[in-house]
Amino acid sequence: MCASFKFAKTAAGIFIQGIFLLWTTFAHAENLMGSELQLHGFLTQGVVITSDNNFLGQSNKKASPDFREIGVNGSLRPISDVQLSAGLLSHKAGGTDNGELRLDYGLIDWTVSSNEQGRSGIRLGRVKNAYGLYNKTRDVAFTRPSILLPQSIYFERTRNVTVASDGAELYLDRYSEAGSLFVTFALGQPQIGSEAAKVALVGLIPNGSFESKLMPIFQAIYEGDGGKYRLGFTTLQLDARYNPGVGDVLQAGQMKFTPKIFSAQYNAEHWSLTSEYALRPTSNKNFGPNAPDSTIHGQSYYVQGSYRLASKWEALLRYDVMYADSGDRDGKEFAAATHRPAFTRFSKDWTAGVRFDLTPEFMLRAEYHRVDGTGYLPVQDNPNPSALVQRWDMLMLLASFRF
Amino acid sequence: MFESIRLYPVSAMKNLSGISIFALFWRACPLYMLAVFLFTANSYADTQEPAVVVITFPATSENVISRSSLRAIFGMRLGKWPVDTPVKVFVMKDDTPEHSDFSKNILQVFPHQLRLAWDRQVFSGQGQYPEQVASVQEMLSKIASTPGAIGYIKTNEITKNVRILQIR
Repeated sequence: MCASFKFAKTAAGIFIQGIFLLWTTFAHAENLMGSELQLHGFLTQGVVITSDNNFLGQSNKKASPDFREIGVNGSLRPISDVQLSAGLLSHKAGGTDNGELRLDYGLIDWTVSSNEQGRSGIRLGRVKNAYGLYNKTRDVAFTRPSILLPQSIYFERTRNVTVASDGAELYLDRYSEAGSLFVTFALGQPQIGSEAAKVALVGLIPNGSFESKLMPIFQAIYEGDGGKYRLGFTTLQLDARYNPGVGDVLQAGQMKFTPKIFSAQYNAEHWSLTSEYALRPTSNKNFGPNAPDSTIHGQSYYVQGSYRLASKWEALLRYDVMYADSGDRDGKEFAAATHRPAFTRFSKDWTAGVRFDLTPEFMLRAEYHRVDGTGYLPVQDNPNPSALVQRWDMLMLLASFRF
Repeated sequence: MFESIRLYPVSAMKNLSGISIFALFWRACPLYMLAVFLFTANSYADTQEPAVVVITFPATSENVISRSSLRAIFGMRLGKWPVDTPVKVFVMKDDTPEHSDFSKNILQVFPHQLRLAWDRQVFSGQGQYPEQVASVQEMLSKIASTPGAIGYIKTNEITKNVRILQIR
């Protein structure tokens, strides 16, 4: 006991020293051949404990540490109109992501024209998807409103599909007294070929893989009064084809996903109110007798209030709702047809949380979730649907450091 | 009878004193409010920090700028002056009174929102942070010596080596 404590203390000491070394080495911008190189990063560790079911690891009645986000990024501006950027990310999230190091984004951003009234340009490479208010920096704890993003819209289980695409993004900004308008249009290849993406879309049993056509994403965000009001609209079209594996239960089908997200936010000095509403129609066809052709209309929304209690403290309250099929909200038709629990088709999550910024670089968070339904739980962490419990509670703790 | 006589002066006095107190109060009220206003206004004037102004490199072509363009510049979105020189943005630490005053009163954006906007751009590869200076002296020397530089400073600390940028 004593030895292990000593070891932990030494390890923690080395760890902290390492972090400070990293920080002092990289946190400052360096001048590289007359252009500025900026290096930044973050390290986030979470702990999840649930009353029932598993989320982000084996969390059922015990603490799961399998929620970790480590990222480093660099950017360089050789000339004022061009920025080269790359970010590496290791994202460990229970059974859905093993934390292997990936290129999160890697792009060249060229501002083609700019003047006092606005700018326009293009980003080429691996670009983070503009999806709702939070997706572009969804893995950076400091930019999130809570430990867990509202799962009705920012699903943890389908993040690989929505996180970034390889292609191009055009952007157009307008700055005027009436407000600012930010419009992006992207066309890219989503990261859909992985096992995790397949499981997210069709479950564990089918053993094939998906490939996608180029995915268009359109987003417009209007900011009034210096960002006090933000209104957004996002839509995209994912058109994917399934390549069955050997002896697969599914045939070579097509899946089309065309979500629309409406976003609104009001920011006062000490509080913010945010809400997003999403319509998520998905149609499947030609998957064969085990998955008849269907079109289901998923529906999601959340309402979130945050209050800055003091300069370092922030409190959060949110109600987050997701229906897999708005034509069968309580999942009864689904249960009758599949003999699986009805409550796997929705989730209603009340969240209360608190954030404490020890320093600008170090943040601590805690939040409590009271959830009805298991709609957002990944199947990888919960392979047996009959072991699921409809009403469950979750406590999450998080520490995050950045440089 | 005796009772009433005895009662009379008491109630009269009550009445009298009641009227006079209310009357006094109402008469004094505007005066009091004026005094409070003058006193607080005066004490504000005495203790208030000098206002913050936007400053640029002395040879910058611009004299005036719109608030929306200024927000785009300090939001790290607009990186060029109209004559094509790159903009170089300098800020002080988030918790300094200068930064708070500049954000709230000139940009009219809350400091924590400005920080969030920078974070979102930096951590998605779309932008860079502004350069943070450690002191007023560093702000002045950087603005005076860096072509395209823009920053802010209290009015009583302005030197001849920087130029004030007016907000349209």
